[in-house]
Amino acid sequence: MLRKLLFKYQDKQQLIIAVAGAFLGMTFLITSIHYLIKVNEFGEGADILGPNTLIIQKKVSNSNTLQLAKTDFTSREVQQLKEKSFILDVQPVITNNFDVSLETDDPLVPRFRTDVFVQTLDKEFLDVKTAEWNWNPNDTIVPIIMPRDFLVMLNTFASASGIGQVSDEVAMDIKFKFTLKSEDKKEWMNAKIIGFTNSVSSILVPENFMKWANNRYAAGKEQKITQLMISGAENEFGKVESMLKERHLETKNTQMVVGRLKSMVGTLIMVVLGISVIAVFLSGLVLIQYLQLLISKNSYEVRTLLRLGYHPKLLTRGFVIYFTKVFGIIALLSISAFLIAKWFLDGLFEDGGLYITNAITVSSLLALAVSFGLFALASYRSASKGIQNSNNG
Amino acid sequence: MDIQFDQVMPHPLASIQHGSDSIWGDSVTLKSGHKILLNASSGKGKSTFTMSVMGLRTDYNGTIRMNGRDITEFSINEWVEYRQNKLAVVFQDLQLFPNLSVAENLLLKNQLTDFKTEKEIRGFLEILEIDHKWDDPCRLLSMGQQQRVAIVRALCQPFEFLILDEPFSHLDDRNSKISLELIAHEASQQNAGFVLTSLDDDDSFPFDYEIKL
Repeated sequence: MLRKLLFKYQDKQQLIIAVAGAFLGMTFLITSIHYLIKVNEFGEGADILGPNTLIIQKKVSNSNTLQLAKTDFTSREVQQLKEKSFILDVQPVITNNFDVSLETDDPLVPRFRTDVFVQTLDKEFLDVKTAEWNWNPNDTIVPIIMPRDFLVMLNTFASASGIGQVSDEVAMDIKFKFTLKSEDKKEWMNAKIIGFTNSVSSILVPENFMKWANNRYAAGKEQKITQLMISGAENEFGKVESMLKERHLETKNTQMVVGRLKSMVGTLIMVVLGISVIAVFLSGLVLIQYLQLLISKNSYEVRTLLRLGYHPKLLTRGFVIYFTKVFGIIALLSISAFLIAKWFLDGLFEDGGLYITNAITVSSLLALAVSFGLFALASYRSASKGIQNSNNG
Repeated sequence: MDIQFDQVMPHPLASIQHGSDSIWGDSVTLKSGHKILLNASSGKGKSTFTMSVMGLRTDYNGTIRMNGRDITEFSINEWVEYRQNKLAVVFQDLQLFPNLSVAENLLLKNQLTDFKTEKEIRGFLEILEIDHKWDDPCRLLSMGQQQRVAIVRALCQPFEFLILDEPFSHLDDRNSKISLELIAHEASQQNAGFVLTSLDDDDSFPFDYEIKL
């Protein structure tokens, strides 16, 4: 009866317009948040290096070849990079100062031996479990991250030798052996692949191992820093790229392309997100205005009910429940439209060669929940105030 | 529950000359369980009296007390309690919901306390000879029929005092008498009092006492 009294005789045109606006706004909001997160996640896990990470080095020119210019970084240059707002972290890439070779040490695969170049990166930049990426002098096996090109080379060798090629998983089970040597010492260490990278051309070893080996086989030799690992801020790869040009630095082009694409798509989605937030805010405002108008149109009914002994909170609850249901329907419609849009867009991305995970992001659902909560709160405050005003009479 | 008027003078009536027997500006107690006739000519503040007692107007000097407490100090919760269980009212303009049926108007009030059964409510309408209007929207009823619906609605709650603001203005003598007898009976059942405001003296009913504005 209370519902019939307060809600039956209403002009629903404005309500329908507000619901349609809120539905579109909410749908765009959760869709854009979802794809913003997915774009930022794009590329994660495909490489052992963390996201938005680059290895940079000075461009080699004729001056470097003639030893008129240095290719190593001074501590002042490192410090200058650290001070850039769009660079989150800078760490030197430490290289071996001693001779090292790697060979297979497994009866299941033919012997393969090559001199190698090993480097170490700060583990903050690596997307590996800390427990795996560690080495102590008592350990018998050195964990290594292999450049994927090395596996390609190994498979080319295997193919030429008439034996089966190996997958990532099989390669990680093959036993390898390092030979470390200086002018007066030689030692063998077992090695095991724990991951692969497309970003680094050398074999990566844990920092502890590199320090230990450099001390043991190259004591007193100066450690030159010729490469740096930098982590760029999200959506600011344009600035990173400009800085690299200015300072005559270079990186693997593929790393920059992914970063640049992510920045561009991320910025576009941010614009859509901004428009969605405004749309949700405006449609929410229209819905709240409609609520106020409804209370105002029903001021006689509200005032009379209060005079008959109805508690203001009971009437407030009636309005809040009604509008919470309206927004609940909007939320359900938005989720449904988002799922349909997601199915369609995921297909488009996949056709375009962009494989992103299908999982729905928690943040997009959280945005919906926050919008719902804010609207319920605004409805309560608005209804409470409107009924209080009707009570003055 | 006694209702005490202590030097109460509504602001809009302050400039009017009131008789020596007027309750405005005097100290008067409306005693619990009494049947009181409030007699006043037009413009003397009968509706102001009703609205002030119900806590809907506070534009007056002096103090109105219920159970010894100044009613302007009542909280919202206290007013809800009084309007549900202690003070019933028939407003001069009735304040029915025109789009709701007679049944809905009455049940909307009754559902607050579940004081009467639907059978009892129908019985009241039968006594007042409007039981056939049960499903009719109030807007289609005559003023006299609407007044009777408003009277029944006021009886659909427990009360200690019932304030009736010219409830029979559109009723003939016969229907007025039937209505007043029903009101008096229901008040007696609850040991409650009532105040009936009227333009005229009413000798046909034995009021306990009469007050003037």
